Amino acid sequence: MQNQLVLTAAVEREDALRYTPAGLPVLEMWLRHQSRQREAGFERDVSCEVQALLIGEAARKFSGSLAGKMVTVSGFLSQRSLRNPRLVLHIEHVEFVKG
Amino acid sequence: MAEEYAVQVAVDVPLFGTFSYLTHLPLRAGQRVRVPFGPRRVCGFITNDIPTEGIETGRLKRVEELFDELPPLPATLLAMVRFAADYYHHPIGQTLFTALPGALRTDRAVRLEDERLWQLTGAGLAEEPPARQKARRALWQALQDGPLTNAAARGVSAQAGRILADWLQEGRAERVAPEALPLRVAPAPSLNDEQQRALEALSETRDDFAPYVLHGITGSGKTEVYLRLIERVLAAGRQVLLLVPEINLTPQLIERFTGRFPATRVVMLHSHLADGERLKGWVDAWQGRAGIVIGTRLAVFTPLPRLGLIVVDEEHDGSFKQQDGLRYHARDLAVWRARQERVPIVLGSATPSLETMANVAAGRYRRLTLSRRAHDAARLPTIRLVDTRRIKLVEGLAEPVIAALKARVARGEMSLVFINRRGFAPVVACTDCGWLSGCPRCSAKLVVHLAERKMRCHHCGWEEAVPPVCPDCGNVDLKPLGQGTQRLEAALARLLPEARLLRIDRDTTRHKAAWDEVYRKVHAGEVDVLVGTQMLAKGHDFGALSLVTVLNADGGLYSADYRAAERLFAQLMQVAGRAGRAEAPGEVLVQTQWPEHPLYQALLRHDFDGYAQTLLEERRMAGFPPAVYQALLRADAYEIATATAFLTALRAEAEPHADGVLVSGPAPALMVRLANRERAQLVFESGSRAALHALLERLVSLAERMAKAHGRALRWSLDVDPQEM
Repeated sequence: MQNQLVLTAAVEREDALRYTPAGLPVLEMWLRHQSRQREAGFERDVSCEVQALLIGEAARKFSGSLAGKMVTVSGFLSQRSLRNPRLVLHIEHVEFVKG
Repeated sequence: MAEEYAVQVAVDVPLFGTFSYLTHLPLRAGQRVRVPFGPRRVCGFITNDIPTEGIETGRLKRVEELFDELPPLPATLLAMVRFAADYYHHPIGQTLFTALPGALRTDRAVRLEDERLWQLTGAGLAEEPPARQKARRALWQALQDGPLTNAAARGVSAQAGRILADWLQEGRAERVAPEALPLRVAPAPSLNDEQQRALEALSETRDDFAPYVLHGITGSGKTEVYLRLIERVLAAGRQVLLLVPEINLTPQLIERFTGRFPATRVVMLHSHLADGERLKGWVDAWQGRAGIVIGTRLAVFTPLPRLGLIVVDEEHDGSFKQQDGLRYHARDLAVWRARQERVPIVLGSATPSLETMANVAAGRYRRLTLSRRAHDAARLPTIRLVDTRRIKLVEGLAEPVIAALKARVARGEMSLVFINRRGFAPVVACTDCGWLSGCPRCSAKLVVHLAERKMRCHHCGWEEAVPPVCPDCGNVDLKPLGQGTQRLEAALARLLPEARLLRIDRDTTRHKAAWDEVYRKVHAGEVDVLVGTQMLAKGHDFGALSLVTVLNADGGLYSADYRAAERLFAQLMQVAGRAGRAEAPGEVLVQTQWPEHPLYQALLRHDFDGYAQTLLEERRMAGFPPAVYQALLRADAYEIATATAFLTALRAEAEPHADGVLVSGPAPALMVRLANRERAQLVFESGSRAALHALLERLVSLAERMAKAHGRALRWSLDVDPQEM
């Protein structure tokens, strides 16, 4: 099953680093994406806010350095929880881009 | 060869009755022997003075050895053991062995330190050792000043043992029994009028059974009343037995007694003593050398030839009831013993049990009340409820509670945060798929202990590492749910960064010296906020506590266990009582979602009597103890079906004999699974104790017989007057 999203966005804000009970670092952040895309043959403005999650060593590495930066991230989508169907992007790769 | 005859011997096996053995020794009841039992050699005790008649002696095995380094057990102890075995329907041998210190349960002789003192004889005094014999000379000189104990003599010279043995042989030294020191009493604080009246009332009866309830609010100075009463009993040459909950048996408590009576031997008895130490204390009590025995529930059996008074402090405490083996209640046995030995007994508490309150109401016990705090300036704390239904909690804490804590820290006053859950959080959950950290062996959840990254079952002791991902769906982001002491401590560290925190729960007080350190820190003013479990609700005096806050107490309001409300109320009264001792007026904040509940409303008014009456009325209407007498027959097996089948068959056999006894079940236990066993129970209730016990007598022999078909797969036990369902 395909589930892959690549997105270039500004990190609007990031939470303080937290840890799972097993001790893995977790970084939660909100991404603001703005671009122009084609739809039905027309150019249009696109904008969205995406909640994203970075777990593991990368979370510790990037913690505190992402807010306000432009990044290209890739990862998969999952719903927030059993009861909350809002989508969350689970980031696997982060790359800084000149914005 | 002397004539041989049969004697009855009690041994530590799960079989009812005693066993016949052959001997030619003139054995008496209470003597300790070694006998063969199956393939083993075991310790046993003779239970009869008169040789057993009419027994085919030819097939009996012989008593192998008599241990006579101690006198036979006293008849009073044997009588108490017989009563406990009958009342709790437990095998006599196992009952007796529960009552004894470990050293007397082995099939080996015990070694007791010779308590006598060394002194020089006339010949010894006359013969001064020459100066070159340094050790002999030093010892001789030390003995000029008076008799020495073994230990003191060894302190003078490491060779003292050998030298003194030589001198004993040569008639130069002898051993003398230490003289009992006259009672000395250190200066004591004065009593207020209530304490004085209670003391006088308690002193009215001597040499006769008289049950009293000393109902004194927290901080009212019950211990001082005990001390004064004990002084009078000691002055009359009698001994005192003081039972306390294990958690209250602190060095501070012992110091109060040894400090008050510096010339009296005070013996401490509890299950954490080394065998030798416990035996020594027990024998000292038995031989009349100790004036005071302070101990946990097991101390109720201590033989005391000159017993003059029994005190059960914090008589409502659950730890007086043993939860396995002989399921005895030390308070109840203490009352029986006081009646048997014709001495007064004092049951002390700020929150007497409903059983005790019912006995007061029925006129069986006389109640004495201490309604004021002993310290003139000390007042009862104000209690407020913080309704948490519509407000957002920060890490489990309501805003007004955080503000109150901040204010205390700023003023340099000490607060206490009470939450009855140790660990970090009561459960780990996967919010993606709904997985919860269940115990693989119990119907309970594993509690997170974050510092060790472990999950532990607080019921069976199972422990495993916190899984890195959800075992069901693979989600990494597992969440600890709910609050435990560790999490609260971490949260308070963030919310009150300037406060010095001290966490007190079973995990932080495992080490022997832990309480000493707690007291040192608290009294040195090195703590701003104490965070802890029910351990803090017990009789500790933390001095000037200005604020007590209670979190997550609601669980006890609607529990399936009918005793939950009684326990919660007592616990909250006790924990609230930690506030406002000494000079600082206190405040108590209770976070709850049920502020209208009668329990909390009674708590607001400090109305113990009113709420106790409400609960007693509820119990009467529902037909629960103390309105009826109750017993529980529990069975457990790998599968509940086995336990239920056994109980169903047992009930069918027993019910025709259940005259005036209500039988219910089998029903699954409140916690069905425990340590890989599934549990069910039958409940027996009756308004007549005699009717209940007549049935239990039959029930136990039925159960013993019927359980055989199931072999080891099935276990069963009877709990008379159960404290937990």
